[in-house]
Amino acid sequence: MTSPKRLSQEHQRSLERRLKAGDERALGELFDVIAPWILGLALHIVHDEDEAEEVVGDVFVQVWRHIKQHDARRGPLVPWILSIARNRSLDALRRRRRWWRKSARLEQAHAVDVAAIPPAPPHEAAVPGWPVHREVHAALATLPEEQRRVVLLSYFEGLSHREIAQRLHQPLGTVKTRLRTAHQRLTESLRHLKDWVE
Amino acid sequence: MTDWLGMLAAPRNPRPDLKGRVLARALAPRRRWGGPLAAAALITLAVGGGAAWWAYRTIGALTTERAVLAARVGALEDTVATFLHGPATRLIQIPVSTGGRVGSVTIFADSARHRWLVRCDGLAPNARDQAYQLWFITERGMSTAAVMPMDEDRPMVMALEMPPGGVLGAAMSIEPRAGSASPSGPMVFHRLL
Repeated sequence: MTSPKRLSQEHQRSLERRLKAGDERALGELFDVIAPWILGLALHIVHDEDEAEEVVGDVFVQVWRHIKQHDARRGPLVPWILSIARNRSLDALRRRRRWWRKSARLEQAHAVDVAAIPPAPPHEAAVPGWPVHREVHAALATLPEEQRRVVLLSYFEGLSHREIAQRLHQPLGTVKTRLRTAHQRLTESLRHLKDWVE
Repeated sequence: MTDWLGMLAAPRNPRPDLKGRVLARALAPRRRWGGPLAAAALITLAVGGGAAWWAYRTIGALTTERAVLAARVGALEDTVATFLHGPATRLIQIPVSTGGRVGSVTIFADSARHRWLVRCDGLAPNARDQAYQLWFITERGMSTAAVMPMDEDRPMVMALEMPPGGVLGAAMSIEPRAGSASPSGPMVFHRLL
């Protein structure tokens, strides 16, 4: 990681105001702090470096054009951008011409991945957002294995409840219950999170 | 809060050129459809307006023409009814031969109102410089009743005022297009009533 920047809370508010005002330099600063996370998330979903970079481009285009739609009262900026990145990644995944063939490989890969997504190596701790990264991992770790698995399949593969049930050979109702319970617990665990603060 | 799950994936250091590419793409001017759309709308409006104006003018002209024709038909129906039901109406039917074909001239002569209703059927169309001319035969000779250029093969109906002094008969000749003061061309028929 090359000299990552840390953002104070005031700096984040200022960044968002400048983005909404159309300050192009603010977009560059936003890239510096959040692009590694978007790229990491996209790569985790699409498993393809070039495609993940495309997703990063899509996300920044969308953020730049629709930043005024973000309502700070309804949630912080970072999760909003992450949700865009996730949706774009899943779109890319679904668009793939050889989706089914690749998904067979992905399924094998995820059989390991979803069991445990390891936190970033310690040397990444200088990256902005690192504490949040650790907190989210810690929150996920508190979930029972079966709940964690359905959450990851839902989030990173965009599978529907029915698809998760088929993948795990579990009743649909069980999957729904596990997801609902997991979301309630995660919401509670992560309620205190704000945008990245030092 | 589950949107924070995106932070689970390990961050990935972007390639050095990615920032430039992404920013260039995000900051590139968006293609504006406003201009082309406005032009298309104007063209559509102009074409639509022109079509509407043309339709308005055409409908107006046709309405006027229809009114004129309806008035004519009404007058003709009235005239025909008057002749047909007039107590002093005589019917005279005259077979004629023109251009190798057989037709007829039918005269409804209303001696009470001193009017004729003349219907011509099956007359051959005239040459371009000629016309049929109908004559009243009177005690003082032939006087013109009507000049009837016939360019199309179709029946012709006309109402005529009889000249003062009475009419002895009717005649029809083929004359120059503008008509003649007295018969000079081939006689189609000559009939004393």
